[in-house]
Amino acid sequence: MHGSSHLLNWILWMPFIGVLGNLIIPSKKANAIRWWSLINTAITFILTLVLYKQFDTSVAGMQEAFNFSIPWIKQFNIFYTVGVDGISLPMILLTGLLFFICILSSWTVEKSVKGYFALFLFLQGSVMGVFLSLDFFLFYVFWEVMLIPMFFLIGIWGGENREYAAVKFFLYTFFGSILMLVGMVALYYAKGKGVDAFNILALSGGHFTDLKLSMFGTEFSFSKLFFVFMFIGFAIKVPVFPFHTWLPHAHVQAPTAVSVILAGVLLKMGTYGFLRIAYPIFPAASVHFADCIAWLGLINVIYGAFCAMAQTDVKKLVAYSSVSHMGFVMLGLAAMTIQGMNGAVLQMFNHGTSTAMMFLLIGILYERSHHRWIVRPDGSKGFGGLYTQLPKFSIVFIIAMFASMGLPGLSGFISEALIFLGIYEKYTTITVLALLGLLLGAAYLLWMFKRMFFGDVIEECKSYTDMNKREIAYMLPLCVAVIVFGIYPSPILNIMKASVGKLVTLLGTY
Amino acid sequence: MGLNYLVSLGHYVPELIVCITMFSLILIEAAHDKDATSKPLIGLTSFIGLISAFVILVLNLSKPGLSIFTNSIVIDSFGTFAKIIMVLGTLGAIYIAEQSSDIYQKLKSEFSIMAMGVLVGGMLLTSANNMLLLYIGLETLSILSYVMATLKKNNERSGEAGLKYSLYGGISAGIMLFGMSHVFGVLGTINFSEMATMIPNLTSDQMLILIPSFLLFFVGLGYKIACVPFHMWSPDVYEGSPIPVTAFFAIVPKIAGMAVIARLTMLLFNNDSLLSVSWIGALSVMAALTMTVGNISAIGQRSVKRMLAYSSIGHAGVMLLGIVVVSEIGLRSLLFYAFTYLFMTLVAFYIVSFVNDTYGNDHFDRFSGLIYKHPIMTISMIIVMFSLAGIPPLSGFVAKFNIFSAVVAKKYYVLAIIAGINSVISLYYYMKIIRLMVFKTSESENMILGLTLRNQLIIGALTVPVVTLGVFWEKIIGVAEQATLLIQ
Repeated sequence: MHGSSHLLNWILWMPFIGVLGNLIIPSKKANAIRWWSLINTAITFILTLVLYKQFDTSVAGMQEAFNFSIPWIKQFNIFYTVGVDGISLPMILLTGLLFFICILSSWTVEKSVKGYFALFLFLQGSVMGVFLSLDFFLFYVFWEVMLIPMFFLIGIWGGENREYAAVKFFLYTFFGSILMLVGMVALYYAKGKGVDAFNILALSGGHFTDLKLSMFGTEFSFSKLFFVFMFIGFAIKVPVFPFHTWLPHAHVQAPTAVSVILAGVLLKMGTYGFLRIAYPIFPAASVHFADCIAWLGLINVIYGAFCAMAQTDVKKLVAYSSVSHMGFVMLGLAAMTIQGMNGAVLQMFNHGTSTAMMFLLIGILYERSHHRWIVRPDGSKGFGGLYTQLPKFSIVFIIAMFASMGLPGLSGFISEALIFLGIYEKYTTITVLALLGLLLGAAYLLWMFKRMFFGDVIEECKSYTDMNKREIAYMLPLCVAVIVFGIYPSPILNIMKASVGKLVTLLGTY
Repeated sequence: MGLNYLVSLGHYVPELIVCITMFSLILIEAAHDKDATSKPLIGLTSFIGLISAFVILVLNLSKPGLSIFTNSIVIDSFGTFAKIIMVLGTLGAIYIAEQSSDIYQKLKSEFSIMAMGVLVGGMLLTSANNMLLLYIGLETLSILSYVMATLKKNNERSGEAGLKYSLYGGISAGIMLFGMSHVFGVLGTINFSEMATMIPNLTSDQMLILIPSFLLFFVGLGYKIACVPFHMWSPDVYEGSPIPVTAFFAIVPKIAGMAVIARLTMLLFNNDSLLSVSWIGALSVMAALTMTVGNISAIGQRSVKRMLAYSSIGHAGVMLLGIVVVSEIGLRSLLFYAFTYLFMTLVAFYIVSFVNDTYGNDHFDRFSGLIYKHPIMTISMIIVMFSLAGIPPLSGFVAKFNIFSAVVAKKYYVLAIIAGINSVISLYYYMKIIRLMVFKTSESENMILGLTLRNQLIIGALTVPVVTLGVFWEKIIGVAEQATLLIQ
């Protein structure tokens, strides 16, 4: 278990070093704080690239070379264990990239700069912790810790209704985590309190399939009951219908960079939880509930798309489009086939980049317009003819929109195609209906585009300036990512293939 | 025989120190009447007394348990740990009282004296091994508490608090005595160790009499820890009493009550008899009710002190879960919970005390925008509130995690879920304070009075264990694990 490399520790703790630095720098030196945070996230991102470079794509499961484990609480056999495999690596890369970009995009934040950047880096550290932890307790701690910076980031720097959004977000997620906590402790005792009783890898593999427990005189299947608990915990994060109601509020009220992180990384933590915890630990129950997951995924796709279509606030539209796109991930997860699962993980990555672009662009626009109405409540147009006013902005917007729509040649297409390939045989009806969702996605995005970018230039849009150098600089890597991974997805697919294959094989035995 | 008592006294040093401190405080107060110079001396004496008691208790922690005074008192590491928490709680409350203007300047020494008295009662209660001493301990604790509640004697609410407290206390003590007399009637002994050997071999008739008698017995204890349905006095008393007294009530009597219930349960009801099943059943229902009622009632409160009162009812419910499981893990979790609860409660009440002194009341609105005026204090308050709600990596989470694991180990999943949902409810109202402090702008420019560097440092220092015990809790949980009950 004890690898020689401290690389993962550096990736995990680098953001926290950044937090300490931010706390030391006096709050009057706003620029120093910004630069320090930027350098810090840049280092983290480079470290994740180093990890990518050293990653051995032929190994299925955890890469022993990077594992690191020391005892934390001996009485409970809790360990500080970090590790990386093909499922977590894409997420780690995404986290490294998006936080770096978000620091750049947050350059214009003026309200208590110190607190903002400190909390932001704190958030990055805890997100990294979730993706790196291999100890269930550690995972849970990071999963929850993440709520604290999010709460303050939304609540202090958010929009008008930020308090409500922050509280709702916090309470929803906390409720889900409590169910997870009960499940975690139950697993600990089911595993016999041994040295590996909190180790996610040791818990995995379907050891609890035949375990029964009785409550109120009825017998329950241990694995089914706690799969449902874990499912709800993760589903709230994804968010799966009907637990999605916190998302539109949180997204709309959050400041741009936080929306990006929320959609780009935090939602993926939910599906990552399925892949890392719920599926491997309860494979039989996962197979048992696959139909249910598929139908919920379909509801997400269709319902999210219809909700997006009805929005007049462009940020809310993109927020609901996330609900719809995460539905595709759920479909891929329900397929439990090689293509489907690969597609799901790839979609997690691709949605991270494309939706991050959308939110960043909306943020750029908002800095100029200070509103986000496609159609104002009084019926007048909020934007019009942006295409002639902001050509660079529009081109980037088109790339982002098409990537998010799943146009062939851009990243969204490959992952969605893989998901449909994987799911078609098992759930033909659902596939057909979900394709309809794809169509709806194209409809609401194009409709939004038409209303905002074409037509007559409305008076107030004339004063808008196009993207400046800083904005172009941070949009560029994402543009490259969606185009390159749209044509040539192998760099990402290769790293996940072996690990996803291992998980599919495990699920296949039930 | 006489020699035996002397030997026993040797094991009873911490209690004796507290007693002696109390008497010296009375003498100092009497000698320096109407003299301002008496105040520092009072504070110093009580600190010295409490700290020496604390040191001796810590040294005693590793000693094996034994029973003294012809088996009427049990000294064991479980009780010692509980006493450590109570001594620290008293220390904190006395310090808050020194700083707070909620207690009249003249009555500050009285507060210290009575707090010591309550502490003696609590310590006696914690180690009582027979019903008589238990009753004496409880009454020592209670009668002085009634007086403490009325310390703000010109204030109607304070008077009301004292009256309510004494009426409730008197009635429940009476009910408890009634129950005790039945227990004695059936078993013919007042000694718990002897009862423990008798209970598994009772006839079903005796069992049927004992079930209601023990439940009546529980009334007296349940009222002390403010568990539902005996909690009605607590919000009013907590609100009416001066803040240092409230902080004191939230810690010392509660921990003492918990300790004695834990001792009784482990000693008498750690078997499969009908009596044990009904006791545990009743206790678990009350635990669930206590959590739920406490937390739901806390949501609507406008006064922070009253909110904390209700939330402390909720916490009592969670602590009861550590007893309901009747296991070593349960006791360990209970002690850990109480230990972390001590720091969180002290910080919370300390801060409320400053706000109250400055603005004259402690309504939620008074906390608006505090972060822009007093960042250190506010961050401490935020940490404590999150910790009370059970958010990792703070000690409140670890405490809840321990209780959870004890409950799940017994496969009481429903109780675990109820406790979890309560945690979510509690997060809502704790977050209310955080929201006001951080997201709102302050309503006035007034800085908070009395928040000197020293006080800020103390607040900060008390917050440190709240954080560190959430990450490095191995040591303390190890100590709590060693702290076992003496079961003869």
